[in-house]
Amino acid sequence: MRKLRCHVSPLVLALVSMPTVVLVVVLLAPAPAAGQAFWPKETPKLPMARTWIAQKATLPPYTPPRTPDGVPDLQGVWSGAGGDNNSVLEEHEYIDVTTPAQESFVSDPRDGKVPYTPWALAKRKEILAGLARGWPGESGERLFTSPGSFCLNAAPVFSFDAQEIVQKPGAVIMLSDDAYRVIPTDGRPAISQNAKLWFGNSRGRWEGNTLVVEVTSLNGRAWFDSTGQFYSENTRMVERWTRVDANTIDYEVTIEDPTIYTRPWKISFPKRRAGTGPRDAPRGTSVTTALPPATNDPHANELWETACYEGNTESVDSIHAIGFNWFTGVTPPK
Amino acid sequence: MRRWFVGFVFGLAAICTLTPTPGLGQTAATTPYTPPRTRDGHPDMQGIWQALSTAAWDLEDHQASLGVPAGHGVVDGGTIPYLPSALARKKENFDKRATLDPVTKCYLPGVPRITYMPHPFQIVQQADKVTILYEYASAVRYIYMNGVPHPRGPIEWWMGDSRGRWEGNTLVVDVVHFNDRTWFDRAGNFHSDALHVVERYTPTSPYHLLYDVTIEDPKVFARPWKMSMPLYRRQERNSELLEYQCHAYLLEQEWNNPASTFFEKR
Repeated sequence: MRKLRCHVSPLVLALVSMPTVVLVVVLLAPAPAAGQAFWPKETPKLPMARTWIAQKATLPPYTPPRTPDGVPDLQGVWSGAGGDNNSVLEEHEYIDVTTPAQESFVSDPRDGKVPYTPWALAKRKEILAGLARGWPGESGERLFTSPGSFCLNAAPVFSFDAQEIVQKPGAVIMLSDDAYRVIPTDGRPAISQNAKLWFGNSRGRWEGNTLVVEVTSLNGRAWFDSTGQFYSENTRMVERWTRVDANTIDYEVTIEDPTIYTRPWKISFPKRRAGTGPRDAPRGTSVTTALPPATNDPHANELWETACYEGNTESVDSIHAIGFNWFTGVTPPK
Repeated sequence: MRRWFVGFVFGLAAICTLTPTPGLGQTAATTPYTPPRTRDGHPDMQGIWQALSTAAWDLEDHQASLGVPAGHGVVDGGTIPYLPSALARKKENFDKRATLDPVTKCYLPGVPRITYMPHPFQIVQQADKVTILYEYASAVRYIYMNGVPHPRGPIEWWMGDSRGRWEGNTLVVDVVHFNDRTWFDRAGNFHSDALHVVERYTPTSPYHLLYDVTIEDPKVFARPWKMSMPLYRRQERNSELLEYQCHAYLLEQEWNNPASTFFEKR
């Protein structure tokens, strides 16, 4: 399943010149992107951090196989977070067909809320009210739309999506259909904190069975989800990737930023080896899943060029025309 | 399917009939270089590479202009063999290159241009595919090596569909299914959606790859033509791919500028 990157449907693109406010509001209701699932209203609340933490506590100890270089073998194709992916980070009830009820991604604090400072919480609420998605509590103002709508990939959201992990001596490489990460594990120092990147600068090390990745130099311009959950240029992330059985990686990221959060907090969910997800998990239907599987297609497992490149041209134009601002990050008070 | 098949036959013909390029470039070794092997037994060309030519500005010999270094061309024979009917378009492209070059709009540069953009790229080899990670636009390109043929067209991709094979120490990549929206360089050298590219990556030392490309496009060129340049392994101890998210800069620059015509003109 792909993460919901674009909340403006292709239909908007053709009709965006129509001036009616009502029409724009209706059309801005998220329409499923390619591969995006539709979820019926009666879908049980989708599991995320809370269910995973409980499940993880029951797992027997596991020692992962090693690569020829003697480090834990994380290689293979791994699913994303599942459910409606990172559409909405915190726990929520059913919102619309692409946003079913789902637990929070946040495993710590236990209430599943991002522990913003009062200043940051006010900023976050301002962004939320100005999303113009047709959701309750909106101001009608069009403030910002998710930077993910422009297909700008960033940490940690890349890790929420499916990817293939390839290991080479001194590096772990993560590959998706439209982006990549190369994480050196050779002990080299990070780039200067004066250099800022969408993905930040990743440095990995092995601690027992776990790949620990420190991410610094983040540019603070991306969101954790599509509803304005933000971080800043001061944010530091520490990811922990641990095989907990043959077909599951426990993914955990700790996010620290005293300028906008009252305490470090964590996101956690399992990543399943492609094709091995729990069979009884609730599933949405999409154009892709509704079709019978192509049994003899030699291209079935290939990653083909996505439209999520080149600034995703059409959605850029329409989002600009509708009047959203360009999100350039937050400036926390000193 | 038919177009691909025709292109494939033309491509084979081009490979078979054109004289093999002898000792191209400054890096051709006098004694053949034997590269190390991957665990799968293929030539190991993994690592971070970059072109140092001026091909991204102009594939042919050119003088300097503002922001553009002078340079020797990389085209075999010096001149791209346009069909007479295509030359006017090339000239118009050149005259309006500051605004018409698709790269100024941050579209993916296509193949082979992305190879000689002034940004590093990293080659990652696995048994079933060779993956190229480009710093430019964080683009990722999968070259399937498992013998599965190109998918049936018509398909129009910015980067085309890449299928590779090993010929001795050379990685040979056949690329079809392009759109007609990319250029080969800033000078307006262009192609149609009938473009067929064959790339050949040959290690000539631990620090050099020879990059030979055959271009075929019967709608635009009178005959297949070739370009060739060395690719250099980045030697910096802390060498790694960083980011050039081109459209992020462009969008930020244009978004809140009321005088911008960027969004109307795209």
